[in-house]
Amino acid sequence: MSRQDSEPDQLPNQDRDAELEALLVEREVRQFLYYEAKLLDNRKLHEWLDHIAEDISYRMPRRLMRENTADTYSEESYYFDEDYGSLTTRVKRFDSEYAWSERPPTRTGRYVSNVVVHEDRGDELDVESCLLVYLSRGDSADATFYSGRRYDTLRRREDGSFEITDREIRLNQTILSTDNVSIFL
Amino acid sequence: MAIDDTGDWTERTLADARDALDEGLFPLEFFHDEQLHQLEMERIFGTAWVFIGHESEIPEPGDYARRYIGDDTFIFVRDESGEVNLLFDSCRHRGARVCRAEQGNTTHFRCPYHGWTYKNDGEAAGIPQKSKAFKNLDREEHGLAHVPRLETYEGLVFASISDEGPSLEEWLGDFKWYFDIHMKLPDGGMEVIGEPHRWVIDANWKTIADNFNGDSYHTAWAHGSVLDLELGGEETVGHAGTGDSMDRHIHCDGHTTSMRGFEDEDVFMTYPEEVVEDVFSRDGLSEDQWQVARQALSFTGAIFPNFGFLHFGDTTDDPDKDVAPFFTIRKWRPLAPDKMELWSWGLAPKNAPEEFKQRMYKMYTANFGPTGNFEQDDVPIWKGITDGAKGQFAKTSDFQLNYQMGLDWMSEMDIDENWPGPGFAYSENLEEGGMRLFHEQWYELLAENPRENALGSPINIQESEDK
Ligand code: FES
Ligand SMILES: [Fe+2]
Repeated sequence: MSRQDSEPDQLPNQDRDAELEALLVEREVRQFLYYEAKLLDNRKLHEWLDHIAEDISYRMPRRLMRENTADTYSEESYYFDEDYGSLTTRVKRFDSEYAWSERPPTRTGRYVSNVVVHEDRGDELDVESCLLVYLSRGDSADATFYSGRRYDTLRRREDGSFEITDREIRLNQTILSTDNVSIFL
Repeated sequence: MAIDDTGDWTERTLADARDALDEGLFPLEFFHDEQLHQLEMERIFGTAWVFIGHESEIPEPGDYARRYIGDDTFIFVRDESGEVNLLFDSCRHRGARVCRAEQGNTTHFRCPYHGWTYKNDGEAAGIPQKSKAFKNLDREEHGLAHVPRLETYEGLVFASISDEGPSLEEWLGDFKWYFDIHMKLPDGGMEVIGEPHRWVIDANWKTIADNFNGDSYHTAWAHGSVLDLELGGEETVGHAGTGDSMDRHIHCDGHTTSMRGFEDEDVFMTYPEEVVEDVFSRDGLSEDQWQVARQALSFTGAIFPNFGFLHFGDTTDDPDKDVAPFFTIRKWRPLAPDKMELWSWGLAPKNAPEEFKQRMYKMYTANFGPTGNFEQDDVPIWKGITDGAKGQFAKTSDFQLNYQMGLDWMSEMDIDENWPGPGFAYSENLEEGGMRLFHEQWYELLAENPRENALGSPINIQESEDK
């Protein structure tokens, strides 16, 4: 799947059995993404890391704002460009009693939708989804949102579950209205 | 400040500020005050040299970026002849914005309202139906307005919306000696990688100015998580005033830099040997500057009023990987008494290997910017200060913040008499004189005095010697 591809997705085909099979796969994928969202909402970060593949590439490029195109992301600037080691480091940092940004933890609600399985290669699947995160911090009624799309490659594991081997988060925001990004998306 | 009908509010506020500064204090309420904000916009951001961007962000003719000075929007654009311009983004007809995107490339800016068009040097190129509708309008006088003053230093473009005042050269003064080290150490200079990070936070701009003007005291505590994880050496994040490092807090012509280094060692901010050997050059630097660079592990600093920088060695995104340096510059743009937009750029030596430049950018995002392992923990703290300043209690209790560390009657301080650079250098980093110097300049500009009236800390040391 091309990450640049912004064409609307194809409508489902008419082969009933194939459709049912695809539906089951899609359901599996959705269940995994919902489970993942719940782990992150509950800040079960080590459990989340259990579903991160050791060859992960986890990226969040900077959204650009250009006059003629609606869908542009920087080739050079990003918020995240992580591998397993740096992602693990970020998770461990939050265990420190000095990680002030998450003391007390932010309250988040992740809404995962528009899940599309682009390609099912059996052991790996390319999946696109929409993500909306509500985030509230501190003793305040104020909230902020992150909104964007995620392009994932999920790898099937022997236990029937998935691990994420590739994720690109494409936020809608160019200018973030947040103190910091102290959550995983 | 409370508003009442007896006497002039501005005068009373400034008198209070003066009294506080003399004691090494600063009223909490100054971090959240609508009237002070208006005064700051008018008297500081209306006169100062404000950072716009680096020339490498707009390398080609027609490249542009929307940039801001206080509440004013400008177009930072390289014209067809290669010159850099800063044009006020307001159509000369009836004021519509002519630049819509944050960055791009164009030969002309086209007003969406009635179609006036301007060349990328600002000149009015097209006025629809001019011969009938505006036959006597002088095209020459209806180009986009240029900022009154625009100057460049080592690719860094600064502007002032005031047509008079000190030149950029005078504004930076001898502080260039220090900033040259960052910009000229690599042969070919530094360049910006990609586009700046931008994020809006609910904090007063003076909180971050304080932090960049030498808050070495906060590092080990506020960034204790980085210390816990051993992301980089103990020296980078370590406790102020401890260890074997050579720590200096330097004040020079109103700007400050904190340096951590190792005497007589080849440190070069942990740049790898091949970069030091192949890319660094003594050509642009004096022997003294070269020696300071050689021994330096890290620098933090600020150029008055709203430019900050970090050039750190010995950092990593993962304790199992090698350490590497990063270099980032930033500006804080006040939007309201309790709101600012942060702009933050990652840089690297232009002539360094591509892979290394990417590693430097990675080190920048791992540590600073909205996702940085350091910076994540700073911003909510600055927000808290601003929050505490907004209510009645800060006013009614005359709540004063303490910046007395390093004053002669409070701390044991030495000045490094052998320091080779201009300005002066404290021999350690347990002092808050850079913040006092920042506040004093803030005061002098608000009082419409010359910025040079602010002398910072030596005055206190001098006084103690006279006593
Ligand atoms: S306002 Fe720009 S053409 Fe009228
Ligand atoms: Fe900090």
